[in-house]
Amino acid sequence: MAITSYERLDTTNDITTTRTLLHESIPLTGTIVSGTYGTFPDDNNIKNYTHEQFQSVYDYPFLSSSANHIYDLSIGFDEASPMSGSVSIVQESKKINMYNQMSQVLLGYTGSANDVRKFEIDTTLDGSGIMRESLFINFARLITKDQIKKGTVTVTLGTGSWATPFALTRTLTDASASATEGTANTLGGDYGVLYDSDSDNLAYGVVFYQAGLIALSTASFGTITDFFSNSAGTKSVLNTFVSCSITASTDAFRHRVQNISFNNTTEINSSIYFCRVPHNKYNHSANPTYLSSSTIRVKSVNSDQPISYITTIGLYSSDNELLAVAKLSEPLRKDPTNELTLRVRLDY
Amino acid sequence: MAFKKFSEKDLILNSLKTYPRCEFVVFDGKIYYNNRPSQSGSFANNVLNVPSGHISLYEINIDKLTDYNDFIYPFITKQSSNAAFRTVSTSTYSDAFAYGDVMAGSYPMSASITREFMDTAGERNSGVDTNTGVNFDADPVYPHFYALKNRLNFYGSRSKHYLVSSSYGDKSEQVVNLISVPSIFFGDRIKPGTLSLKWYVTGSLAAELQDTKRNGELIEVSGSNTGLVAGVVLYDEGFLLLTGSWDLNENSMALVSGSATGVNPKWIYYGAGALDDVSVATTSVTYLSASFNLSFEGSNEIQTMTMFAHAKKGEVNFSNNPTYYTQGQSLLQTTSSQIYEENPDRTIKNTVSSSYSDYESPFERQVYVSRVAIYDENRNLIGVATLANPVLKKEDEDLTFKLKLDI
Repeated sequence: MAITSYERLDTTNDITTTRTLLHESIPLTGTIVSGTYGTFPDDNNIKNYTHEQFQSVYDYPFLSSSANHIYDLSIGFDEASPMSGSVSIVQESKKINMYNQMSQVLLGYTGSANDVRKFEIDTTLDGSGIMRESLFINFARLITKDQIKKGTVTVTLGTGSWATPFALTRTLTDASASATEGTANTLGGDYGVLYDSDSDNLAYGVVFYQAGLIALSTASFGTITDFFSNSAGTKSVLNTFVSCSITASTDAFRHRVQNISFNNTTEINSSIYFCRVPHNKYNHSANPTYLSSSTIRVKSVNSDQPISYITTIGLYSSDNELLAVAKLSEPLRKDPTNELTLRVRLDY
Repeated sequence: MAFKKFSEKDLILNSLKTYPRCEFVVFDGKIYYNNRPSQSGSFANNVLNVPSGHISLYEINIDKLTDYNDFIYPFITKQSSNAAFRTVSTSTYSDAFAYGDVMAGSYPMSASITREFMDTAGERNSGVDTNTGVNFDADPVYPHFYALKNRLNFYGSRSKHYLVSSSYGDKSEQVVNLISVPSIFFGDRIKPGTLSLKWYVTGSLAAELQDTKRNGELIEVSGSNTGLVAGVVLYDEGFLLLTGSWDLNENSMALVSGSATGVNPKWIYYGAGALDDVSVATTSVTYLSASFNLSFEGSNEIQTMTMFAHAKKGEVNFSNNPTYYTQGQSLLQTTSSQIYEENPDRTIKNTVSSSYSDYESPFERQVYVSRVAIYDENRNLIGVATLANPVLKKEDEDLTFKLKLDI
């Protein structure tokens, strides 16, 4: 049906924008990464690659079409780490490259020689508190969405023996971080520090909110001597970094992941159009059902004022092209005695 | 950074039309979708955590169980944007929540086909005027039928079988079997000519309807009354209205909820058990003689924008990546409170591959292109296309990157 008159929207008073933050609570139960789907370390929801640079964790055996990729695990160390250049070190260049790749992308460069920054367990980036050996948890975009919500990250790690890793636990949180403080901004976005708030209140890692990545210090596992155990014997976390592959090291790491949880954030931007219906307009309808035998169907007496029922609002471009249609949940009565303002929200 | 402008020839808008095939089987009060079996997990009996025959909207709660492997759930904090979940009414939003309160939702959200059996579709509840004591017709018993009346009459020009009241009868007075198909299954519309409704009795095909004329009429193509129209389909809206009330055969089975009395198979009983409270428990064991198959193709358009980003010879031959320079060179020549001078002698790392050991190929200007960024007219970054593998761009080569964006 042809539209013959339009109500022009005043761009100053009739159009505004808002931003809504939608969150999701993401609990990642640790048991699914170790022993739930198959026998550790050959779990069916853990995908290893021939390049052996990282391993992927799924929420269900990955051969199923229902499975979602939830995060990747890897390790690395700085070339200035004491373990760099150790005798019989396994995959040394891969581990150094992994560390440099992560730090380069997330922290950028510094100094006149454009040195790659190192991970630090503080927000100062002043060269102190460097984490030279790190375990990386790289979350999938599916669960981090636009970003991880600051101040909501909790990581619980088992620090007991290899046989009973969760007899002792360490819980790391970024409780000191919030939208307004407790974070630092770098090339890879904002990051906050993960503290062990239960005992010594020391920092053991960092979380990059927009990138969706956690870098943990090997100090998270303290001085436990059997961080990893197999038929060849037991190893501390540093010995594991030296003498085991990245895959074996991440196997040992996920054996000690009890829980990870955080809230994510999705920004929903909206335009709000206030469509004003004056008292003396839109009291008649061009709908064919409005008339019955040439008389207005919703009037019983000829002298009554005209009535219409508004069901739809069309949003048109400046050249009168229909762009969008908003429907009311129920028709609104309109007659010359009332004025309406209809609020149309467009999310994108 | 230099920007390259897309010319008119570099931007193409296309519509991709897809026809997703859907097949539902209804048997024993359960729905099965596209022959998907139920997958059991370590925590949940059905890893999707939705009933059989349902689609899970985001499919992110896989194999979840409260207190063992907790569910992901959404929440919104009440704030000035006044946003809330659809399930929170306006009055609840105003009264039950203060600013800063959290409104939580729940996953998974699911959808499947639904059957509604209307024994007199236009029936209304009766009310009594408290002032006069006079009876009057109040709200409809089957509001979905009233909601569809305008659309049915609108499509009357396509076929008279759509009309609510016509020479074929008055649907308001008839028994109507309404099958609702959520649009998540078919997209924009059900593709005309692809519908098939099969009625099985003890596993044998008793009758079949198809929309052979593609005008929305559901015509019996096999069974006792081939050629008769047993109902209509609203392609755009995803509704099937069946009014065919003739016997498909002489078998007797209980198909009406709350009654163990047997009835002959008819199209008005088609789909019994599809979320309509019909089961062995609400009828009798004879209900198990009936099973149903509904299949169709959806029709869905996806708009795609194709962009051709050209990297011509002599262009795109420099990188701002610090690793582009030979390692170990100083960035600065001089710096003081008055002078800032970069090192003019820094050399670019020669990345030309040599075929021989202990021999470095002569230097050539080349880069590896790893991503293409898209900017709007105000130079805001609006998209980034990352290549699976970096592409070598030599100075004397032309390259074109084809970027495709689903809108």
